[in-house]
Amino acid sequence: MAGLPLLSAVVFIPLGGALLIAFLPRERLDLIRGAALLTALAAFAVSLLLVIDFDHAAAGFQRVEVASWIPAFGIEYRLGLDGISLALVVLTTTLTWISILASFGPIRTRVKEYMVSFLILEVGMIGVFLALDMFLFYIFWELVLVPMYLIIGIWGGANRIYATLKFVLYTLVGSLLMLVAILGMAFTYQAARGTWEGAFDYEALVAFGFDPTLQFFAFAAFFLAFAIKVPMFPFHTWLPDAHVEAPTAGSVILAGVLLKLGGYGLIRFNLPLFPDAAEQWAPLIIVLSLIGIVYGAIVALIQPDLKKLVAYSSVSHMGFVTLGIFVFNEQGMAGAVLQMVAHGLITGALFLLVGVIYERTHDRTIARMGGLAGPTPVYAAVFGFFVLASLALPGLAGFVAEFLVLVGTFAFSPIAAAVAALAMMLGAAYLLWMYQRVVFGELSDFLRGLGHHLTDMNRVEVLTLTPLMVITVALGVAPGLVLDLIDAPIASLLAHVGGDSIARLR
Amino acid sequence: MILLDESALLAIAPPALLALLALVLVVVDIYRPGRDRPLITVAVAGVIGIIALTVVIGPLPGVGLLEGATEVFDGVYVRDSLTCFLDLLMLAIALLTLLFGPDYLRPRGLPAAEFAITLLFAITGGMLIGGARDLLLLFIALELLVLPGYLLAGYAKRDGLSTEGAIKYFLLGSFSSAIFLFGLVLVFGFTGTTRIPGVAEALAPAGDGGIGALSAGLLMGLALLTTGAAFKIAAVPFHYWTPDAYQGSPTPVTGYLSVGPKVAAFALILRLFVDALGGVREDWTPFVVVLAALTMTVGNLIALSQDNIKRMLAYSSIAHTGYILVGLAAFGAAPAGSAAAQAGLEAVLFYAMAYAFMNLGAFACVAALQRTPGVTSQIATFAGLFGRAPMLTVLMTLFLLSLLGIPPLAGFLAKWYVINAALQVGGWLNVLAVLTVINAAVAAFYYLRVVVYMWMRDAPEGAGEIRLGRLTQIGLAIAAIATLFYWAPPLPTVLIDLAREAAAALH
Repeated sequence: MAGLPLLSAVVFIPLGGALLIAFLPRERLDLIRGAALLTALAAFAVSLLLVIDFDHAAAGFQRVEVASWIPAFGIEYRLGLDGISLALVVLTTTLTWISILASFGPIRTRVKEYMVSFLILEVGMIGVFLALDMFLFYIFWELVLVPMYLIIGIWGGANRIYATLKFVLYTLVGSLLMLVAILGMAFTYQAARGTWEGAFDYEALVAFGFDPTLQFFAFAAFFLAFAIKVPMFPFHTWLPDAHVEAPTAGSVILAGVLLKLGGYGLIRFNLPLFPDAAEQWAPLIIVLSLIGIVYGAIVALIQPDLKKLVAYSSVSHMGFVTLGIFVFNEQGMAGAVLQMVAHGLITGALFLLVGVIYERTHDRTIARMGGLAGPTPVYAAVFGFFVLASLALPGLAGFVAEFLVLVGTFAFSPIAAAVAALAMMLGAAYLLWMYQRVVFGELSDFLRGLGHHLTDMNRVEVLTLTPLMVITVALGVAPGLVLDLIDAPIASLLAHVGGDSIARLR
Repeated sequence: MILLDESALLAIAPPALLALLALVLVVVDIYRPGRDRPLITVAVAGVIGIIALTVVIGPLPGVGLLEGATEVFDGVYVRDSLTCFLDLLMLAIALLTLLFGPDYLRPRGLPAAEFAITLLFAITGGMLIGGARDLLLLFIALELLVLPGYLLAGYAKRDGLSTEGAIKYFLLGSFSSAIFLFGLVLVFGFTGTTRIPGVAEALAPAGDGGIGALSAGLLMGLALLTTGAAFKIAAVPFHYWTPDAYQGSPTPVTGYLSVGPKVAAFALILRLFVDALGGVREDWTPFVVVLAALTMTVGNLIALSQDNIKRMLAYSSIAHTGYILVGLAAFGAAPAGSAAAQAGLEAVLFYAMAYAFMNLGAFACVAALQRTPGVTSQIATFAGLFGRAPMLTVLMTLFLLSLLGIPPLAGFLAKWYVINAALQVGGWLNVLAVLTVINAAVAAFYYLRVVVYMWMRDAPEGAGEIRLGRLTQIGLAIAAIATLFYWAPPLPTVLIDLAREAAAALH
């Protein structure tokens, strides 16, 4: 298996599926849906093969696949895998098939285009996690934008056009400046080495070591692109709009994977490429992260709309990711990566659950809900599970992640840790209060009016949520499943940055 | 030496044969008036034949009967790799325009014969500019390019808008030609020669036997030439004729006008400013930097508020002029003979190539939508296009995303090349590079607005299906392949080599 180009396979299986579906007859909905699901499952299976075949001991990137592309500028097709990208690739392939399955019911118009968009989206997402050539990375990075633009804009809610344009414009501004930084790096490398060979090669650029001025500006450009995607306060304003208007599966992927592209980018590119600038910028980013954690939680507290509440909780939870990254120690970084996985699973599930209730009521207003425990006990139980997971109940994935981030932050600054811990309490408050209003008490008049339309979760919905529950428990009980993967890359990453703070910790 | 030897005959064959083809079409039309189909067939076949012949003649990297630079008529015309590159690009533009035209013209009762013949004469002019090594030939070729353009713009003569646009185009066009000619005269007067190598020699630094610092008269000449050229490429603030001329012209003509004269005018800039006036680049580079910044910013900002797709694309083409000018600015600001200077010229050529295909493609989609007479150019007519013509919608989306610069489409690689060149120079060009990407983000708004209409809004009542003509289908396929597969190996390498060789011919 070592010789097979599995990385290219996992990237391009969805593309092949998308091309195939594009030529299927429009009216054969079942065929289109089946083909899309099978494609996503195939990509999922290949990603599991990657897990089985992963060498935990090896340092650096594994299964590197290289092909010549534009030799005039040293641009190569170069993919590689390490523990961090593996964890996120598996998260992506898992959430994609679940999302496609969850779209079978809600998406009834232009099914073909929807499935094609979704699979192309998967190509971009997986490509970002695997690309080791800056040019290739940028192509995948931007490739994500177009299908998501269509998914929100065509199959979204009432205000979808405003939301999708806002999403695209925000993301585009950030990523275009990143393009300038990528080219600036490449040219600096070329000028110093006298050849374009390796000017876009990630590993060569990491080893190159840029001068502080370039680092400062390039860090800012990369950071802006990733901070918008994460999204960090104050770049988060596109997120609630995009989430509220997106169809359920779009929200799942948006929260589950797209936000992780930002966190991944900070870890993969900002720290190793610009270590000096990272230390300069770290205090500001930590403060912004803390503001994001607290602000997201407070704003979530007062949201009248279920989906908006979950969206703002994402701002808060993703704050832990950026916080963990920029305290520059193993606990913080490991917690950040684990938090990305956990948030992907838990928040993805919460969006699915909001989607379940929206399918039946065509409403998401918390005030109109109440007493769901009676007519829909299974739903109430699953919802309860993920609410507890989201507020970081010990024994579930989110707890381990946020705990690790807090440990890492405490070593960096006890005050910062105290602020973050306080926000976790706020998290418990808005989630439990929301759950109480939606699930407990008397059945509300609005829900009673729906009569027999208010059914419990059907088999497909249970099927989409069960794997997420299983993984959430598994990672909570045995976080080593992910932590073992990411140990080695994090250690080598931290050798680049933040030598001081590690010393302080020990 | 007037006698032509074999290689000289080969060297002038492409433009000469194209003019001949146009004359043949005149004869065909005389004997078979009003029969469009055979005429267009002859024209398309002829252009394809000349494209093949141009490739055979070369010189292209590794291909071609000719090598290096072949001078004709005592050095008035030259065929080098730049000439060949520009010839191929102009011929490709001619071919696509010929394919897009008839399906739009026929329902309106506009004769295809005049369209094709006028177009081919204009393209001949563009090809002659590409190889001109003499100021006089440069000017005559320029006029051969633009005069048929005026005719084409006013070609739908019963349409008030078309006539209005043509008159504006004609007046400002002849005005700018006069300014340009005046500049040429001054340069001739102060350097004593019309030959481009002679001018370059006379303007070389004082140490190398040249005149060194520019006299007031030469500066005046340079200013007039810059103004004239800026008119022709429609750089801000010399762009006022563009939106009206573009809006009024029949849509396939608009497509041609947005690409053909622009590419040819950049060919003129390469031959004149880079080749002849390269020695005094310090004197014109600051203007180019300012022109580039103004052109892309103003073009994009005004495009934001357009409700007419043709006007929007007109302003978008102004913005793209700005991006190409960044490449020229990179050449001007880099030290002579440096890699960065070469990269700037490559960027101009590479961008022009990508722009030609994606912009023609976008206009072809508009023309296809307007096949039925009476369909307006309001962006609202794109509403719900996906339900009416899914394939056309996908293609239009592709062209718009490419114009916007989404990877891996042609427009992205072109922008990439321009920014890369600018960053290699550094200094003020870094600012220009950042301005380029900010402009790209601004442009996203109006390109995506059309996408919103096509995919996310409902079609008006009673809007039927749209059927594409066969010629349009072929043309769209060519443009789409060129736009979509710019990145696919070995294409980038081949195209970069082409642009690189062509740019190197100027040193």
